[in-house]
Amino acid sequence: MIWLTWRQFRTQAVIGLALVIAVAAAYLATRSTLLDIARDSGYTACTADCGQLASQFVKTARSGYLGKLYQIGALVLLLFPALVGLFWGAPLVARELEAGTHRLVWNQSISRNRWLGVKLGGIGLATATVAGLASWAITAWASPLDKVDGWVTPLTYAARGIVPIGYAVLAFVVGVTIGMVLRRTVAAMAVTLVVVAAAMVGGLFLREQLVAHSTYQAALPADWDGGISLSPDDPSHDIRVEVEPPEVATWVLSNTILGSTGAKYHGPYDPDYCGPHATKGGDGPQGCRNWLTAQNLQQKVTYIGNDKFWVMQWRETGVLLVASSLLAIFCFWWIRRRVA
Amino acid sequence: MTSAVVTQKLTKKYGRKTALSDCSLDIPAGHVVGLVGPNGAGKSTLLQLVCGQLNPTAGSLTVLGAPPVTGSPRIGFVAQDTPVYGSLSIEDHLSFGKHLNPAWDDDLARERIERLDLDPKQKAGKLSGGQRAQVALTLAIAKRPELLLLDEPVAALDPLARREFLQGLMEYVAESGTSVVMSSHLVADLERVCDYMIVLVKSKVRVTGEVEELLATHHHVTGARVDPENLGPGRTVIQARHTDVQSSLVVRSSAPIDDPAFSVAGIDLEDLVLAYMSEAANGRDRVLEKQR
Repeated sequence: MIWLTWRQFRTQAVIGLALVIAVAAAYLATRSTLLDIARDSGYTACTADCGQLASQFVKTARSGYLGKLYQIGALVLLLFPALVGLFWGAPLVARELEAGTHRLVWNQSISRNRWLGVKLGGIGLATATVAGLASWAITAWASPLDKVDGWVTPLTYAARGIVPIGYAVLAFVVGVTIGMVLRRTVAAMAVTLVVVAAAMVGGLFLREQLVAHSTYQAALPADWDGGISLSPDDPSHDIRVEVEPPEVATWVLSNTILGSTGAKYHGPYDPDYCGPHATKGGDGPQGCRNWLTAQNLQQKVTYIGNDKFWVMQWRETGVLLVASSLLAIFCFWWIRRRVA
Repeated sequence: MTSAVVTQKLTKKYGRKTALSDCSLDIPAGHVVGLVGPNGAGKSTLLQLVCGQLNPTAGSLTVLGAPPVTGSPRIGFVAQDTPVYGSLSIEDHLSFGKHLNPAWDDDLARERIERLDLDPKQKAGKLSGGQRAQVALTLAIAKRPELLLLDEPVAALDPLARREFLQGLMEYVAESGTSVVMSSHLVADLERVCDYMIVLVKSKVRVTGEVEELLATHHHVTGARVDPENLGPGRTVIQARHTDVQSSLVVRSSAPIDDPAFSVAGIDLEDLVLAYMSEAANGRDRVLEKQR
């Protein structure tokens, strides 16, 4: 059975292997250039207060073809699951059912369970390997940039570490399942694409539920920096204050300013200090700022920091692999009960 | 004599549609059995139940003394339309046969392909219908099964390919003594090769038996118009056609009919099967096509 699986999968396997080699070669070859930029910008040698140098390094690195590579890397890893579901998963059983060849192969001396098991296991493993190697190459390559920009922001996160393996394996099993149920290759490919896309979007929302959120809460310092917006004609004197989150908050979930009561602060402002008719506190917005500082305002940020990266990766991959296993169990049940 | 297949009140329903109902059969081993019936009579369903591809809705069956399971090395099956992997070569098909079957007879398979003048390097998708059927048959027999099932193997073939296929099958059966069950909606395909017949119409078994015995016990009877009920004991009218003065009957009777009022003639297999079918069709257009 392994022989037949390999013989039928050979072409796709070669394409997958070519993809991995291309990705690994491109990123291994350009990694030294990226490190050179980090060194030349002074960022590598920097020991304290490196914010300025770091953003300089990222800006330089992202402007040339390395920036393109950075985006392509994310694109490859985000698209890979969909491609696997479409071209490796959906046709796997659907094509056999469509051509009637399942009647040929199931009448050899082999049980359906073994037939499906070898196919799911073998090609599932190939999927995980290709996704894992590609993700490893791109994660390693981008690590100097990610160190500055953060690993846990949603788009970067899904294209790093082991989560791409989870999505690729899930997409493969989803494709197989849909193909088996629909029995039509093209229809199965279309539905698989929709389902995989939905799963990846769903993952965005699931992700933030997987770890405890960190909270930053502190009184606004005297020299706080941020935006103020108000409408002079508003009789209730509402005012909105926005302050940048602290640097530790890589993935900001919420960022609010609380008043002295602990509720979200929205004024009312004192028109003597704030707004176009302000008379006290001196010229310009500084008077309003000082007045706001005196209101005992607090900034409250809930966020997920870089330190949660691996916990989240393991948990999300776990969820995806459990879902894949359940689908695989369903496949074994379906092929025995529902496929003649 | 041992039985190849025994079924008891075997029933298969797809949703509300009954494909096979209360089918009780005892097919002896060592025969080439023809399973004949119009399209949609339940032939494929019966064969797929026998090879374990389908599970029965009700009733029971044993195949070679055990309940059927898919992937049994003892049963060979050539499915309808003789599917093969279009992108694999004949060589590849033989390789996977070798990998997937413990009793695989590689010499037999290769010798057959050579005798058929097929190029092992050729992709199966490029083969003609007849060649494809031959490859499918080769796969099934090189498995060395005790029971070989063929589901309408020649339905899509031209007359020459049909004859070659059946010839190949008969050669193998003569050498190996394998039991064969083969379905067709054409009696002509079966009468040349089968020595046992099952007639299946509208999901019910109409008649079964050895061909010789069936031919010996069925008669064409023509004579003055007669009420089929009054033909006498031990005689069953299978089919009756009447004009104002004359009756033309197909009668089953184990004893010879020597009534001077009738002229009695033998019957050929095709007419015999057609008689059972038109009885089942209740006088409507005959469903069975008569070939040539």
